[in-house]
This record gives sequence, structure tokens and C-alpha cells, in this order.
Amino acid sequence: MSSAANGSASSDHGIRPADLHDVRFTRASMLHPGYVDSEVDRLLHRVAEELGRHIAEKAELRDRLRALEAQVEGTVTPPPPSEQAVRILASAQQTADNYVAEAEEFSRQMTSEARAEYEGRVREARENAGAIIQAAQEAAARMTGPVPMGADAPQRSVEELEEQVAYLKAFGQACRVQLRSYLEALLSDVENEWGRADPAALPSGPPRPPAQRSGSDGGAAATFSDNSVAQPPSEDADEDLPAAAGSRSSS
Amino acid sequence: MDVPAMRANFAKAAATGDEAPLYFYSHLFLSHPEVRAMFPVSMAHQRDRFFTALGEVVTRVDDLDTLVPILQQLGRDHRKFGTLAAHYPAAGASLLATLEHFDDEWSPELAKDWTDAYTLVAEVMIAAAEEAAEQPAWWEADVVGHERRTIDVAVLRVRPRARYDYLPGQSLSLETDLRPRLWRYYSPANAPRPDGVLDLHVKARDGGPVSSALVRRVGVGDVLRLGPPMGHLALDPDSDRDLLLVAGGMGLAPLKAMVDQVARHGPARRVDLFVGFRTEDDVYDRTDLARLQEENPWLTVTYAVSEDKLSSLEQGDVGEVVLRHGPWTSREVCVAGPAVMVEDTVGRLLQHGVPPRRMSSEVFAPSRPGPSVDGEVTE
Repeated sequence: MSSAANGSASSDHGIRPADLHDVRFTRASMLHPGYVDSEVDRLLHRVAEELGRHIAEKAELRDRLRALEAQVEGTVTPPPPSEQAVRILASAQQTADNYVAEAEEFSRQMTSEARAEYEGRVREARENAGAIIQAAQEAAARMTGPVPMGADAPQRSVEELEEQVAYLKAFGQACRVQLRSYLEALLSDVENEWGRADPAALPSGPPRPPAQRSGSDGGAAATFSDNSVAQPPSEDADEDLPAAAGSRSSS
Repeated sequence: MDVPAMRANFAKAAATGDEAPLYFYSHLFLSHPEVRAMFPVSMAHQRDRFFTALGEVVTRVDDLDTLVPILQQLGRDHRKFGTLAAHYPAAGASLLATLEHFDDEWSPELAKDWTDAYTLVAEVMIAAAEEAAEQPAWWEADVVGHERRTIDVAVLRVRPRARYDYLPGQSLSLETDLRPRLWRYYSPANAPRPDGVLDLHVKARDGGPVSSALVRRVGVGDVLRLGPPMGHLALDPDSDRDLLLVAGGMGLAPLKAMVDQVARHGPARRVDLFVGFRTEDDVYDRTDLARLQEENPWLTVTYAVSEDKLSSLEQGDVGEVVLRHGPWTSREVCVAGPAVMVEDTVGRLLQHGVPPRRMSSEVFAPSRPGPSVDGEVTE
């Protein structure tokens, strides 16, 4: 016999399947054909022991698995967050709320100042144009009025004045276009500022350089500036989720 | 259920002002981080809303006839936020933790009462949400047109990807990915059209994150999400009385939808539309209104300007201008615009002799206070 059948080293590790495949029993004597009884008996004994150990181990593992499964089932709901965690998250949220509110406030100020300035300049330009036109008309009346002129002279000056009026109108228009693009640039700045509070919402690209602002022009506040429907106060109180102004900032 | 004890307990939490809702949301987000994405970055306004709604429930807890419809509406409205039945127990656990945190005399009985009450509320809301499940929670809509009309007004044309039914005069809430989780209300400015396209009139409010994004950032090809339509302003379907429509500023949208309704479906009636603006430059929809007036001899459009002395349009507040024309006593009247304008116009028309039952009005206001520290509307 070779290998596992009587190897003392292998007995420490238990019987492996390979040990059984490789087992060879010694031929007995000429008088007693077959294997040596004692070797076969010893092997059978060891196999029985080994099997018993495996069965016991399997049962133990099954128990442990059940215990672990029960434990996992019990802890599906996470433990409630600690007071400290709640406090930290609350103050982080308040900080974020304040930043958003500040960004919106800044954007609101910028936009309303820009609008006031725009409206003021348009008004001024229009009044100037009106005054110039009126002066021109008065001049025309004087020229065509009491002073008798050559037959085609008044005609010409009326034409000239009409040209001048047209020019002034075009000039006024150009002023408004320019003011408008100026205001657009300001508004774009405001958007970028807002975007800093919510960078994901902004298209990428370098921010425009800050526009110059004189900020001296006062203007009337918008009257018809509202643009969204009032939400019914009661039923919808929890109904949509607009970002609020941080009107309760604690800082 | 010991209602007085629950009210006393709630009052303790409510007395802390912002503290209690702040605690509630922090607790909720720590226990269920996946819920955070359903809310906007800034939670300040949300906190107000949540405790206001909860306060309503607590006030009316013994008046189920009033409470149940409110809860049902809340349940349906929450669908567009992506709220699922599974979210309700999560919020319930955090609510209990909050109420316990702010009450030194918290008891197992209170815990049980609140659990029962909350379970009931959640069941009503979930049931209403499930009843509404045959219609989408929200509609995706492609922006197919974007036209800047004035420096801060744009007309957006959006086409919902699925059928979207609404009545002229109704409004809808919408959200853009540029300003996630911020829903704002707008009114379509047209009656339902065969191609399903809606016109939305948007004015960029100073500092308004959604409105300014809709005017200055959104473009053709972008997608908006629309909530279900909500009815406030409506025509009496059984009446064919002549109409008087009075709009201030952006209040024009729902009234233009009504004009469109008469043009498309009748009944034949005379319609007088008055639109008030601050200055002539603010009149943002003149071309299209002129077209409507040309196509429909029954329509008369009159503009009023309140702060533009150089303008050739009629001068004065729109309510004042309306009364210069008339008489209007036999008309069905709709008024939409800013609060001051609506109040003024309705008052004048009542005095003029229009019966209140034939008059409906809607206030168009910023959907929330401006970002001033004391929460006042600062515009």
C-alpha cells in the first residue's frame, strides 16, 4: 500500500478525494489472495471519521448562516441618524440657502438697476429727440411763416427739416438699440453670478468681463412685472418646490 | 386619537419656526439620501411650505370633509415630483423623530397617535395618486419656438410629447433642467390646437431664477416638464354672453387663450379685450393681437399705458380705461394681472354694476417673495 492508506502525514489534513483515488493496497500472501484486512479496515475507519466531521461542520455552518441571515433582516432599516449628524446637515443646508438667497438678491439688484438705467436713458433720449423735433418745427414755421422767401426756398427748408426729423428718429432708434445691447450684457453678467450659485446650470464658456455701471439713474419700479400665476395658498402649500428666498437666514 | 394632545405637541414644534422643518429635512435626508435629489438646492421656501401644509392638516384633522379633498389634491400633485408610495413611510419616520425632538413630554401614546394619523394621511394621498395613475405624472414638452419680444419678455412655443388636455384660462406648472426642482406656474395663451403646441408668455423677473432662465437661456430643442393643468379662471360653458376681458401685463396669456377659444369654437359673441402695460415698449404681443382683431370682427383690443405720457395709446390704469368705454353691465367678465390691478379693476366694475357672479379673476404674482431678508415682495 502506498500513499494515504497509511501515510501519517496525510492524517493531519484529513482525507482528500485524491488520497482515495491514489490508494493502493498491498497484495496479501499467496495463501490469502486479496488486500491486507488491517489496511482496509484502517482506511474505512478514517473515512468514516472524516465523513462524520464534515457532517458536523456542515450543520455548524448552516446554523451560522441562519444567524447571519436573521441579523441582516433585522438591520434593513438603518439606525436613525445621530443628533450631531442632523445638526451638521441642518447648518450646511442653511449655509447653502443663504448663498442661494444672496446670489438671487445680487441678481435682482443688478437687473433692476440695469433696467432702471435703460429706461431712464431711453426716456431721456426720447424727450431730447422730441424737443429737437419741436424746435425744428418751430424754426420751420418761422422760416415759412412771416418772412416771404423765394418760391422754392421754403420748400427746400421743409425738406431739409424733414430729413433732419428722419435723421433724429433714426438716431433715437440707434440709441435704443445700443442701450439695449448694453443692458443685455449687464443681464448676462447677472446670469453668470447666479450661475456661480448653481454652476451646473450654466453653459460653459468664459464669463464676460464686468460691464461698467454708473448706477446713478433712478427709475420707477416695474408695475406689471409679475409673470407667473399666484399659487393658491392652501391646497398647494406643499405642492411645488420653488427655491425660496432665504428670508429666514440666521446669520 | 387624542387630537388636543397632538395639536399641543405640534404647536411646540411649530413654535420653533424654521428649526423644526430644518430638523425634519436633515433627518429625512440622512436616513434616505436618495430622496434629496427630489428637492431644490435651496430648501428655505420648501420648509415653509411643508410646515404650513402640516399645520393645515393638524387644524382640520377633525373635519375630514374638508381635509380629505386637500390631501387628495396634495397626493396627485406630488406625482410630478416623483414621489412614490415607498417615500411616505420614510417621511413619516422623520416626522415622528422631529415631533419627538421638540417635545420634552413626548410619550408612547403620542407616538402611536401620530403614527396612526400619519398612516391615514399617507393612505389618502397614495390612493389619490394611484387613482390619477392613468394620466402621466408629468409631460415632457419640446421647445419648438422661442421669441424675445421685449427686453425681458419671451414667448415660448412648446409641444408636449403626449396629449395634453387643458381648458383656456387654466394654468400649468413647469420645470426646466436649467433650474431643477423649481416648479413655476404659467398659463397657455392659446386654446388647445390640433398640433398640440402651447404658447407660453414669460417675463423675466429680477432675480427670478426660473423666469430669467426661460427668457434668456432656454432655446429651441430644450425640453420642459409640465405638470397637470389647474383651473382657476374659466368661462361659463353654458353662457354666450358677450365678454369683457381685462389684462394687466402678463395676465394677457389666459385671456388671449379665451379669445382663441371663441375664435375656434364659439359661441359667437362680442369680445372686448383691454390690456394694460406700464409703457408702450412693454406691449409685447401687439402683432398677433392685431392679426386676431383683423381676422375676427367681433374682437376689439384696447391698450392702456399707465406711465408713458408720450404714448398715443390710452392713458391711465387699465381699470380706469375700461370704464371710459362701456357700459359693461351685461357682460361676462374675466380679469387677470397683478394683485393691485385686479383689485382695482374688479372694484371699479362692481361699482359700475357688473354682478359678482359673472366676474372671475386671477392674480398673477411672483410665485414667491423676492429674496429680501424680511420676505417681502420687493418688486
